Amino acid sequence: MAGDDRDRSYDAGAASHRALRAIRRELERHPLVASVRGFPAETRPRVVAELDPHRLDRAVGSATVTVRWFAGETAASDPEFAFHYSEADGIDCGWHFGPNPHVDGRGHFQERADATEAYRYEAEEFGTLVPARVVWEVMQALEERIEEG
Amino acid sequence: MSDPALEDWKANSTAFDRVRAVVDTVSEPRSAAWVAAQAAVSENTARDHLRRLEELHVILAVEDGATTRYVPDPLHTRLESVRELLEARRLDELLALKAELQGRIEDWEAEFGVTSPAELRGLAAETRRAAETDAIRETANEWETTAYRLGVVEDAIERSESAGDHDVAPV
Repeated sequence: MAGDDRDRSYDAGAASHRALRAIRRELERHPLVASVRGFPAETRPRVVAELDPHRLDRAVGSATVTVRWFAGETAASDPEFAFHYSEADGIDCGWHFGPNPHVDGRGHFQERADATEAYRYEAEEFGTLVPARVVWEVMQALEERIEEG
Repeated sequence: MSDPALEDWKANSTAFDRVRAVVDTVSEPRSAAWVAAQAAVSENTARDHLRRLEELHVILAVEDGATTRYVPDPLHTRLESVRELLEARRLDELLALKAELQGRIEDWEAEFGVTSPAELRGLAAETRRAAETDAIRETANEWETTAYRLGVVEDAIERSESAGDHDVAPV
């Protein structure tokens, strides 16, 4: 009975909505981010952060991180998410978590040299699945990826 | 301490910001100790902020034996989202947003021949091609969030209509 009540009180849409809102707030706080758009003003549930290429030390016209997040089918389910980084004519990569045919675990990193090529995938461990913390973890990983050149 | 991502977060937020960010996105009731560890604050600090958030009706306290656990208050999420919409959009814009959200759901219904995200997930399980399964599951996920959002927009429209909207030209 108690279990039924808990299930009924969980709404995957509401939980995902809350996660996207928290993600937006963290991106607005992040020093590399110039502005944030997308959710909740636009129809699609995506948060898009415009990064400042100067602060990233990148000689590109634009650099964006696009985030989608689903909180999970049930209260006990893991979330599914993707943070995709792309530059105008530059790096195209992303940090993903969820069922996928590319690696053994749920977490993976993917990157391709340009739009005509296929992505290459590698397994990625996330230290946390709390939305706000994942934002800072991915942004840290992004800085490291950029330092690699 | 040596986690650079966590250090970045701490340098750019207050303890209250972090406690709120953590507790606002839990799916199951969590204790002050759990929130404290995730938010990188002391347990006492977490407990103080959680009590404050409970008093403000942002979160709900669930008594579980000797432990108090916290979850986001779904009513708060909904009312806050309605308030944000009413501040950002006029009635005609809300009606346009409602039509857009409804349109997306109708497109999925037509494309997949199903009427709910749960039904669409069933379809994903039957599909053999991995890439297709992923795309269908992603759509089902997006559908859940879109359906929730549609409900919020409808609430905002009802409120806006009953308050009498002065920004729309009279018919």
